[in-house]
Amino acid sequence: MQKKILEFTNILRKSGIRVSTAEAIDSFSALEQLSLDDREVFKDALRSTMVKRGEEVPTFDQLFDLFWSGFYDSLRESFGQATGGLAEAGVDLEQLLQQIAQMLQGMEGEIGDLSDLARALLTQDLTQLENLIRQAAEQAGIERIENFLQVGFFSRRTLEQLGMEGAGDELQDLAARLEAAGMSPEEIAALRSLLEGLMEALRRSVRSFTERELQKQNHDYMEKFRRETLLEKSFYHLTEEEIRKMREVVERLAQRIKNVLSIRRRRLKRGKLDLHQTLRRNMSHGAIPFELVFKQRKKDRPKLVILTDVSSSVANVSRFMLQFVYTLQEAFTKIRAFVFVAELGEVTPLFQEKDINDAIEQALDGGDVINVYTRSNFGYAFHHFWQNYLSAIDNKTTVLILGDARNNYNDPRAWCLREIHNKAKNVVWLNPENPSAWGFGDSVMDKYLPYTDVAEECRNLRQLSKVVDGLLL
Amino acid sequence: MFDSVDQVLAKLTEQDYIGDKKIGTVVFLADKLEKPVLVEGPAGVGKTELAKVVAKATGRKLIRLQCYEGLDEAKALYEWEYSKQLLYTQILKEKFTEAMSGASSLRDAAERVGKEDSVFFSNNFIVPRPLLMAITSEEPTLLLIDEVDKSDPEFEAFLLEVLSDFQVTVPELGTIEAVRKPLVFLTSNNAREMSDALKRRCLHLYIDFPSEELERKILETKVPEAAAGLVEDLVAMMHRLRELDLKKTPSISETLDWARALLALNAQELDEDLVSQTFNVILKYEGDVRKAQAELDKLLQKKAGEARAAKPAGAAPPAAASTKKGALH
Repeated sequence: MQKKILEFTNILRKSGIRVSTAEAIDSFSALEQLSLDDREVFKDALRSTMVKRGEEVPTFDQLFDLFWSGFYDSLRESFGQATGGLAEAGVDLEQLLQQIAQMLQGMEGEIGDLSDLARALLTQDLTQLENLIRQAAEQAGIERIENFLQVGFFSRRTLEQLGMEGAGDELQDLAARLEAAGMSPEEIAALRSLLEGLMEALRRSVRSFTERELQKQNHDYMEKFRRETLLEKSFYHLTEEEIRKMREVVERLAQRIKNVLSIRRRRLKRGKLDLHQTLRRNMSHGAIPFELVFKQRKKDRPKLVILTDVSSSVANVSRFMLQFVYTLQEAFTKIRAFVFVAELGEVTPLFQEKDINDAIEQALDGGDVINVYTRSNFGYAFHHFWQNYLSAIDNKTTVLILGDARNNYNDPRAWCLREIHNKAKNVVWLNPENPSAWGFGDSVMDKYLPYTDVAEECRNLRQLSKVVDGLLL
Repeated sequence: MFDSVDQVLAKLTEQDYIGDKKIGTVVFLADKLEKPVLVEGPAGVGKTELAKVVAKATGRKLIRLQCYEGLDEAKALYEWEYSKQLLYTQILKEKFTEAMSGASSLRDAAERVGKEDSVFFSNNFIVPRPLLMAITSEEPTLLLIDEVDKSDPEFEAFLLEVLSDFQVTVPELGTIEAVRKPLVFLTSNNAREMSDALKRRCLHLYIDFPSEELERKILETKVPEAAAGLVEDLVAMMHRLRELDLKKTPSISETLDWARALLALNAQELDEDLVSQTFNVILKYEGDVRKAQAELDKLLQKKAGEARAAKPAGAAPPAAASTKKGALH
């Protein structure tokens, strides 16, 4: 049992559920306390000791079913078929086996001379058979199985390890000797067809065992692989499904930043000793300062103005940036969001009224304030901002601009950005294009570059989260 | 204390707590293995209630520690009673002078004071907070650390010693070991992911929204006055609502509140007006109420459409469906 549980632990680990040794030991001691008749109780005991995250429970459930759904049952089924055929042919299996046993007794206990496998097959000792198959599979290195193409290979190796050929020969040999010992021809024919059926059943069982094993070992492998690559995946090529998944990843990243932030804040907050407060607090102790009070530094939460290009070329970056920023909104004093293609409009109210995802989708659609079906014109948009919204910026404001700076050969009006830069605390530009492409073709990034404090390439989530983290420091 | 999982469930039922086997198994194991239990799940599914009920069922004294941001050792574990120490110093001044009288030098005097250290840093002057109380208590206790996710990560680290070894270390006094190991329940709403170290030391129990059947049972136990038809309608409606994308999904506690509210209004079954009027009992956001209302309207329209479609065909709809399911389904 312990061995099986350890094996199960390993499989959980492979699927990304972290189970420590201590937890495995806990599960042993838990099982000692329980009766194992009830499958549900057994499952709950394993889960409560090994799986500590709500979101890992579905994975555990699936794996549990895969792992503990008896291979024994499927074994019984395929061997039932093998012998069932015999019964239809009008042969009583029990009787046949008894007869064999009797004859063998006369031949000096030769059933003991048979190999384990042959004996298990003949007597249909399925428990023993299951053990033998497991052992053989282990020796064949089954835990290294990785994809479906290897099923045939590992089935073959398991059969070799099992010594199926040898057992087959032995049994045929036995049949021959029984024939020589005077068994009737019909009985011999029945025996031979039984042996054939058994061999076939064995072959099938091993194959199904290998397939099961593949499922166990590879469960969640693809899923994990995808999650990791999502972080690196370029925003340019995302399917609907990936956008949905990505949203979850962003959510998690934002949550993590939030946690880190709270610690960082607390450390920063503690200032010098506050003498007044200390004296007052300790009045009840006769002004002997048992409890010290420290001045709290004022939090310097940044104000944020986001200008996002929502033309189709950068829509995805904008999407995740907006999600990021709004998930973290309590980290900022104030956020104002603007979208532009050529015209520029404010979408801040959207985020106050709507659920974040709806708000983002609507903002990317122009939010009823701008027309998105035009060609990008950064110069026009900045000019518009300078005319109407410059008051939104003060010396505590960080201006975050998202865009590829592909200006369709319009006038870049870089002086507008200079004005903005002069008023703001800093200007951060995120460009989904590689820096080597900046300033080539219709890109006017080089014209804007002097008026930004930070300009970064931002093509995937990893880069995005790095930038957001930097903003908050 | 418990002999089997079924017995646990029976004892919980005695206390009007209806749980499934999962809950029973974990409580049973916690008791047998003397391990803390970390209970997670959405708000209002009865996490805190479980701890309280287990305390009652096992006759343990409940000691509760409510966590919040900024909770520190002084409030969770122990605190020195400075004022009392000070008072004692004042009162015992003469004794001090006496003790110091023979001192030949400053160093000698300081040494003597040092020897009397233990007078002031002893159990006399310690104010035990929940954790220390649970550990030093002579009678069996159940320690409930509520909403542990609201505490700071530092506090969590400090909990580790208590949870794994049932002991605490007070620098001046040394390590205090538990007289009787308390049963520990931690609850978390997952506002923050707990550290692996903490999770490793605990058994984990995830309580989700109950199945319709279980929720009906809970309602029947907790609000026995409610008519069977009403319970049925209520539970079905709640499960519908939970499928919507709401800001705050209503949970069992809301179901119970709703049932009680409807009882107060003397309702025998749910109808449209009643539902719209009492939505605010279960939904805590304006937006959620709007969404739920829309869903309700949709249902009613569909219902009306079906009724119209059924009429010309002439065939009477199955009696059970039309009477029992009322306006809602």
